[in-house]
Amino acid sequence: MCAEVRNIRTPFHEFAVGFNVIINLIEPGTRVLDLGCGSGTLLQRLREEKNIEGCGVELDQAKVLRCIERGIRVMRLDLDEGLEGFPNKSYEYVVLSRTLQQLTYPEKLVTEMLRVGFKSIITFPNFGHWRAALQYLLKGRMPVCGAHPHPWHSTPDIHPLTISDFRDFIRKIGGTIEKEIHIVNSVPRDDAFWANRRAEWGCYLISAS
Amino acid sequence: MPTAPIKEYADSDGLYGRVSTQYVTFEEGLQLESGTHLSPVTVAYETYGTLSPERDNAVLIVHALSGDAHAAGIDETTGKLGWWDAMIGPGKGIDTNKYFVICSNCLGGCKGTTGPRSINPETSKPFGRSFPLITMGDMVNVQAMLVDRLGVRRLHNVIGGSMGGMQALEWAVRYPDRVASAVVIAATARLSPQGIAFNWVGRNAIYSDPAGRAEATEESSFARKVGRGLAVARMIGHITYLSEETMEAKFGRKLKLKDMDGYSYSLGENGTEGGEFEVESYLEHQGQTFMERFDEDSYIIITKAIDYFDMERAHGGLHNAFKNISAKMLVISFSSDWLYPTAMSLAIVRALQAQKKDVSFVELDLPYGHDSFLVNAGIPTMTSLIGGFLKSVR
Repeated sequence: MCAEVRNIRTPFHEFAVGFNVIINLIEPGTRVLDLGCGSGTLLQRLREEKNIEGCGVELDQAKVLRCIERGIRVMRLDLDEGLEGFPNKSYEYVVLSRTLQQLTYPEKLVTEMLRVGFKSIITFPNFGHWRAALQYLLKGRMPVCGAHPHPWHSTPDIHPLTISDFRDFIRKIGGTIEKEIHIVNSVPRDDAFWANRRAEWGCYLISAS
Repeated sequence: MPTAPIKEYADSDGLYGRVSTQYVTFEEGLQLESGTHLSPVTVAYETYGTLSPERDNAVLIVHALSGDAHAAGIDETTGKLGWWDAMIGPGKGIDTNKYFVICSNCLGGCKGTTGPRSINPETSKPFGRSFPLITMGDMVNVQAMLVDRLGVRRLHNVIGGSMGGMQALEWAVRYPDRVASAVVIAATARLSPQGIAFNWVGRNAIYSDPAGRAEATEESSFARKVGRGLAVARMIGHITYLSEETMEAKFGRKLKLKDMDGYSYSLGENGTEGGEFEVESYLEHQGQTFMERFDEDSYIIITKAIDYFDMERAHGGLHNAFKNISAKMLVISFSSDWLYPTAMSLAIVRALQAQKKDVSFVELDLPYGHDSFLVNAGIPTMTSLIGGFLKSVR
């Protein structure tokens, strides 16, 4: 079962479906801050396809060097230290893709995102997916498959969350959800039915209330 | 004519070929920030590569405290390799096939540019310690005069580490329309009290040395017997440029005489210790060679200029200082640099961000301390970083 569903997470990692969802949310000619930008693939596509002015934040040195080589503006910073120095409302969009569940201080960072950007785009794997829930229920162990491919002791996903959790969280920190897109069977759907159990990924456009 | 180049750094290969330092004299001199007028001013410089017909491919290299104009290639007369030869040359990080690279000795230096060893026209004797005190801004103004003379209006890039980084930043602030991009390496926008303290101890070593003072104004240059004060100053400085980790890896607690089983329990024949540990003999060597190649009055003048460097004070805050910057900026720090630690680079970066400037920031994980940009093991990383950045500048 796991081998089959392992690639539930692939679309975002291979930048195909996931990146397209993000790119579609972004207005051309805007400023975009990509947190955890990796080698700058998303920012490069945004620059080419939407003429955006981008900046990335990444901790991995090799990936930062790759960004510089690609001519992408980048800062080597630890997201858990927040966004000190980024002025208020200095970007139209702040993107946090695939990284929320790996942060030590997710609340601190998302609050900072709402301060720095007019809008924020956050994507995360949905740990409420029925396969994961079923594994937990039937096997009595932390799920290892699909959206969470690592065993509990070596997963970088230290803060697993569900789509329902995320909605509560945004309400709690005073944000407004403007748009919800759910990836169901690798296909993006606007505000999918029963998303908390069916979606592999959530993609959210939020703003400060 | 020397046959094989003398290697200062292992990966330097002198690929650019033979070069010789050039000199240009500005009879009109310049007005110093202190208010003193200094004239004439001679500048020692080297260039590598060819200036494009559009004159838009010039890269200015700015050296650190003890550097000189000989940044790359093999010196025609001495056979010495340039101090950043590993970075500059055909196909290297700063590619001389693409860029017209300029490097000059700083004002106040002792490697050909006007400094304490130059003759004071009023007394017909060397300035010595009567050389006027200067600033980073004065050094940058002299570089701007040179750049003008070379027919370059706007630099593609200005790049430097340590004191050179301060000047790269000063360039971006002082001449916003003349710099397309700047790379500020292991630098700070204001010297820390710790930095001032180390410089003060270094100068004190020189001041306490009777040999230096007595001969300071006598007319002689390299042949002059320089006191050990300068060597001590260099040793102190050198400790601050290395990391604890590098010292451990390079020397450990190894003893100088490898055939000895244990300590000598002796201070030497006349009670004047020669140093028993390898780290001691390394520092001794650094001090000795520095005495031979540097001038103590230049050391005083340049460290004073570094002490005076404070952009916050000069502009009423960094935000204000960076208001007019138009250059694309790259700020680089080293994780093991405890003299100018990452926080100091971040202060520059954050003030630039606040002004919504085009700034990238990279802290490099290199273990070699403040001098990481000069250490060969760091060159591949520096090459991809700086080469990539230069390419992205339009």
